[in-house]
Amino acid sequence: MADSHEGVEFEFDGKTIRARAGQTVSGALHAEGEHILSRSFKYHRPRGLLCASGRCPNCLCTVNGTPNVRICTVPAEEGLVVKTQNAWPRVKFDLLSIFDRLHKFMPVGFYYKMMYKPRWMWPVWEKFIRRIAGLGNVDRRTGGEATYDKLNLFCDVAVVGGGWAGLSAAREAARAGMSVTLIDDQPELGGHLRFDPDLADAGLADVIRDVRENPAIQVWDRATVFGLYEGNYLGIQRGNRMIRLRAREVIVTTGGWERPLVFENNDLPGVLLASAAQRLLHLDHCTFEGDAVVVTDNAQGYRVARQLAAAGTNIAAIVDVRENPPASEFQVIKERTLARARGARHVTGAVVGRFSGQPQSTIPCRWIIQAVGFTPANSLLYQNGCKLRHDEARDHGIVKTYARGTQSAGTVNGHHDPAAAALDGRCAGLAAAAALRPNDSGLSASRDELAAKLAAWPAGEMTSRHYVSPAQAKKKFVCLCEDVTEKDVCDAIAEGYSNIETLKRYSTVSMGPCQGKMCQGACIAICARENQQSIEQTGVTTSRPPEQPLPLGLLAGRALHFSLVRRTPMHDWHLRNGATMMDAGNWKRPQVYTTVEQEYEAVRGRAGLVDVSTLGKIELRGRDVVKFLEFIYPNRFENLAVGRVRYGVICDDAGILLDDGTIARLDTERFFLTTTTGNADAIDSWFRSWLAGKPGLDVRLTNISGSYAAMNLAGPRSRDILRKLTDADVSTAAMPYLAARQCDVAGVPAIILRVGFVGELGYEIHVPSQFGVHIWEAIIEAGKEFSLVPFGVEAQRLLRLEKKHLLPGVDTDALSNPLEADLPWIVKLDKPDFVGQRSLARASARGPRNRLVGFRISGDQIPQPPALIMHEGKLGGRVTSCSFSPAAGCAVGLAWVPAAISHNGDRIQIQVDGQTIVAVVQDEPFYDPPGEKLKS
Amino acid sequence: MSFQLDCPNCGIRPVWEFHFGGPSRKRPEPDDPAVTERQWAEYLYNRPNTCGEQTEWWYHRSACKTWFLARRDTRTDQVLETRLFAPQEAAGG
Repeated sequence: MADSHEGVEFEFDGKTIRARAGQTVSGALHAEGEHILSRSFKYHRPRGLLCASGRCPNCLCTVNGTPNVRICTVPAEEGLVVKTQNAWPRVKFDLLSIFDRLHKFMPVGFYYKMMYKPRWMWPVWEKFIRRIAGLGNVDRRTGGEATYDKLNLFCDVAVVGGGWAGLSAAREAARAGMSVTLIDDQPELGGHLRFDPDLADAGLADVIRDVRENPAIQVWDRATVFGLYEGNYLGIQRGNRMIRLRAREVIVTTGGWERPLVFENNDLPGVLLASAAQRLLHLDHCTFEGDAVVVTDNAQGYRVARQLAAAGTNIAAIVDVRENPPASEFQVIKERTLARARGARHVTGAVVGRFSGQPQSTIPCRWIIQAVGFTPANSLLYQNGCKLRHDEARDHGIVKTYARGTQSAGTVNGHHDPAAAALDGRCAGLAAAAALRPNDSGLSASRDELAAKLAAWPAGEMTSRHYVSPAQAKKKFVCLCEDVTEKDVCDAIAEGYSNIETLKRYSTVSMGPCQGKMCQGACIAICARENQQSIEQTGVTTSRPPEQPLPLGLLAGRALHFSLVRRTPMHDWHLRNGATMMDAGNWKRPQVYTTVEQEYEAVRGRAGLVDVSTLGKIELRGRDVVKFLEFIYPNRFENLAVGRVRYGVICDDAGILLDDGTIARLDTERFFLTTTTGNADAIDSWFRSWLAGKPGLDVRLTNISGSYAAMNLAGPRSRDILRKLTDADVSTAAMPYLAARQCDVAGVPAIILRVGFVGELGYEIHVPSQFGVHIWEAIIEAGKEFSLVPFGVEAQRLLRLEKKHLLPGVDTDALSNPLEADLPWIVKLDKPDFVGQRSLARASARGPRNRLVGFRISGDQIPQPPALIMHEGKLGGRVTSCSFSPAAGCAVGLAWVPAAISHNGDRIQIQVDGQTIVAVVQDEPFYDPPGEKLKS
Repeated sequence: MSFQLDCPNCGIRPVWEFHFGGPSRKRPEPDDPAVTERQWAEYLYNRPNTCGEQTEWWYHRSACKTWFLARRDTRTDQVLETRLFAPQEAAGG
């Protein structure tokens, strides 16, 4: 690969960069000598590669129009356009770096302290701050182009992380017969052993092949687990796809995040983490020309030094914090640490000093490599509800109690030795399998055997306790994302934000793109030091999803569940005949075909037909239906004869009106109920909730809402039309008002309810939905000679308003009871217990406070709901419906008003556009007060 | 909220198929003169907001439309048991 002449070309801030196949964008830039990749958030300091593993914020660039992409994770591809961010005019020469010199005027909490007054200035400041601070800009032209998808999966065991521990866990669980999903965020499996050849075991390649080829193991590489939610539900990003994985057991083997050391100018380009140097050496096949200083307190530093030397770097010195560093071929400066990096735009030297501060000496160099330990990547464990404690010996958070169905293994448990991590992984794999197969004692026995072996493992090298170099200086960066220095953290603590959580919120430390992966260790160490507490006492900030930043498109992307659109059987007929459709819940309903006036005239004068298939329809059968209805409804049903239909309202136990509808008794033990369109599912659920608590009742409930088409044929000529289509006797003598019949209409079985839906002679006809179009067309055809027209929801509402029929949810709300909502006659308080009885009895005894009343206005103004009603200079109520009524010749409506002004003839004052107009309360319906038409 | 419930009809399903019906509580006998107005108001308007295990109603809205009882730890959302309401139990809310 290193000698490959095959290459690709991409653009970086207008310059053409040549990359070798397999290199990342950042690797190619390193090889080309481009070391300034971004400018920092607040001070606009130059920043270069630090972690090279997609954690830190230093290489955030705009790639092909997508802002805030970490280019160390992007493979170099032909034609990529990479642009730097947050710099003006450009990243190499950023005039805004003046802020670096003004830092003493920008203390911690600067915005809170300086920009809150005068208050009117804040929008000006905000605009200014947004221009000069922050990350990339969203390109509105290209931002919405990507397509995001979701995928739902299941498995027995999910393993997060494809290092030694994860691979071993996956293989062990699969061997025990489990279906396993292994998720790893790198392009290849192997974890950090991929770029640390001195650690890699010959066996690793075999294990990777085993895992790849095992049909029981599904491997998702280049996939990031961003959330581990309760019930072992994993949110995974893989490119533009969100994978939602439900696992019965989860094994977290996410390893560790290498942490930087806090010293002066520690953010200069040329200061890298050891693992970043290893990635650039072994994965990107880059070199580090010139001299390097390695600061360390562990074996990793020495390995990196050897690897760098082998690639041609001159190791100027290894600065070892410890008293007794091991023998080495390099010059080792012991009991020293880094005090400062020299240089303006790149490292030119390393200032080394004692812990006491003095004396210091400078070593000229181009690179500073830090190998001071790892922070366990345990945020998924925190998210899942595991309890962690700080282990003093390991200086490491380790799991105290696991959440149900969760295990962890490897570095995240403090096993830095690859062989121990592998053993720990095998233990976790067996433990997960044993949890899923509790009767297989062999599994837990093998697990215990391995656990004993692991317990006897020689204690590995301790990780570092060295987070912060002791030198006093201002530019010691703790949080690179938000440009928070050690001094800022100390000042914040001195100002009283000494709790780790308040410290975070005030100083914004750990709140940037890395979400604490780089800074958490140092931040806690400083907080503990300043408060003179232990790390355990200091605690950690709460870790929440997403673990890695996500594109919003991923969360918003199209789902496999689409929102439901319901169409009645006659939907296409409506469209063919010019209907304007409207939404009614999930349903589409015809709003109007021609004009409301024409449709209104037809219904009142001749005949009209409206599609009411959207009504909820419930069939109840059984010996105890009457008993049940008596309990659910405030009105009486034991006296409802077969072949009769009755209006009813449903209340809850607080007496609040939930819904209305009709109840037809088709047979002794068979009832047919309708509900309003929007409440079909809620009333179904309501009935079932009461039935669930009365399992002894013989009541069988079937929701047949979608199985039946329904239409209301209304108007003085409706009987003449119906007569043409059925042999049944439809005369008022045989089928009076509120009759319910089952008979054939146009050759199909139908349920006919003679109800006064719109205040005219009318028939509500229900047929199995497959006959909906047939019977609709038959009625339209039969109605031609009577000039029948179809009418829509708008005309229906006007027709019903003229009869003062309320619409639950529009004319009523969560405080409306039937006594006050103009339906006192429906409540039979002398019945035995029914739902709402006690509350209604109390409301009845108390008397009405507000009432729903009809009103008419003589002027030409039509107040739109919710126009307010004034009473004695105060707000008294509101208009809920209002329209011009052709029957009344004026505007009519329904309104909630105080009881004192709710009587026939009372005058109410309605506010319209700042004016007060007077309306008169009317008890009677506005059309056909005696109800002769509907009974005719 | 991503836990699962074991519907007595359908088996283990994700929580978003269900509708939460609140903690199971005994409905005071409305006709019983011993039930005070305060007790009735308590039943109507106050929920216990238990921290720990509670028995509660769930409705399998997206599938079999069954109301059933679940015992759940509100701190961890661990569902310990699900079952249908038994005839011998007193009427619940």
